[in-house]
Amino acid sequence: MEKVLIVIPAYNEAENIEKVLKELKKDASFADILVINDCSTDNTEEIVKKNGVKCITGVFNLRYAWAIQTGIKYAYQNDYDYVIQFDADGQHIAKEAAKLFDVAKKGNYDIIIGSRYLKDMGYPCPFFRRLGTKLFEKMVYLFCKEKIVDPLSGFQCLNKKVIKRYSKMGNYPEFPDANLVIEMLRSGYKIKEVPVKMRLREAGESMHGGIVKPIKYMINMVYTIVFIIIQNPRRKNKEDL
Amino acid sequence: MKNIYFIILSVIVFIYIVYEVRKKKFSIKESFWWIVAAMIMIVLSVFPYSIDKFAEFLNIDYPPSLLFILCIIFLLFITFRNSKQISEQQQKIIELAQEIAILIEKNK
Repeated sequence: MEKVLIVIPAYNEAENIEKVLKELKKDASFADILVINDCSTDNTEEIVKKNGVKCITGVFNLRYAWAIQTGIKYAYQNDYDYVIQFDADGQHIAKEAAKLFDVAKKGNYDIIIGSRYLKDMGYPCPFFRRLGTKLFEKMVYLFCKEKIVDPLSGFQCLNKKVIKRYSKMGNYPEFPDANLVIEMLRSGYKIKEVPVKMRLREAGESMHGGIVKPIKYMINMVYTIVFIIIQNPRRKNKEDL
Repeated sequence: MKNIYFIILSVIVFIYIVYEVRKKKFSIKESFWWIVAAMIMIVLSVFPYSIDKFAEFLNIDYPPSLLFILCIIFLLFITFRNSKQISEQQQKIIELAQEIAILIEKNK
C-alpha cells in the first residue's frame, strides 16, 4: 500500500479551506492530508485543526512555493511514496486528485500535472495568463521537445524520486513554473499532463493579479529559463540519473 | 580600436557572472541586476560615443559625469537592496533561533 500525502499550502483561506478538506476526506480517502499554513492572519489554522487535519504553521511567511517545499520535506522525512499538491482555494476537485494518483501509480512518469488547458474543460482564463502560458509552452517545446501546456498548475502528483530531489535545499524555485518543468525534463525526469476539471475561485484574491506584476513575472521567468538552460546545457537520459 | 581593452574587460565581467550562476554559486534571481549592468558596460565599451549622445540629450555639458552618476546610482541601488535584505534576514534568523530554542525546551 503506497503512502500518499496531499499537501495544501494555505494563506488566509479560512473561507474556502473547510469545504476543501471535507471534499478531500470524502473523495480522496486513500491519502493523508497536510495543510501548510503560511502564517495566515485569519483563523485558517483553527479551522484546519477543528477538522482533524494535520497543520504545519511556519515561523514566518514562506510564500507559496516554499510552503509547498515544506510539505515535500515533511513527506520525504516521513517516507511517503507520493505527494499530491492541492490548492486551498477550492479550485481543485478532489475526485481529480484520485485521477492523477491513478496515472502516477502506473509508474511510467515522475511528475503528473493536472492541466486545465489540455482539452477545453470550460475554464475561462484572463488574457495575460493565457499569453504567458502560450509563451512558456513554446519555450518548453523549444528546449525539451515536449508539450506541456500548463506548467504553472499547482495541481501535481510527484513520485518518491521527485520528492527526494525537491526536498533538498536550492532544488525548489521561488516561482515553480516552466523553469522547473524545463529543469526536470532536462535532468531526465518524465512528466505527463492529465486533463482535469477545475472550478473558479470562490473567495479571496489570486496571486497573479494586476498588470505590472504579470509583466515583471514574465521577464523574471524568461530570464530564469535562460539560466536554467545554461545550467543544464544537455538533456540527460533517465539512465544517467 | 582603442576601446578594445574596455570591451575585453566588460566581456570578462559578463562571462564571470554567468559562470558563477552556472556553478550555482550565485542565484539566478540575484544575478539579474549584475547581468543588466554588465550588458550596459558592453554596450558602452562597443559604442563609447553613445554616452556623449545620451548626455547631450539630457543637457549635460560634461558627458563623463553622466557615466559617474549612473555608476553611483547603480551602486547605491545595489547597496540599499543588500541592506534591506540583511535587515529582513536578521529578523528571520532571530525568529528562527527563538522558535528552535522553544522547541528544544519542549523536547527535553
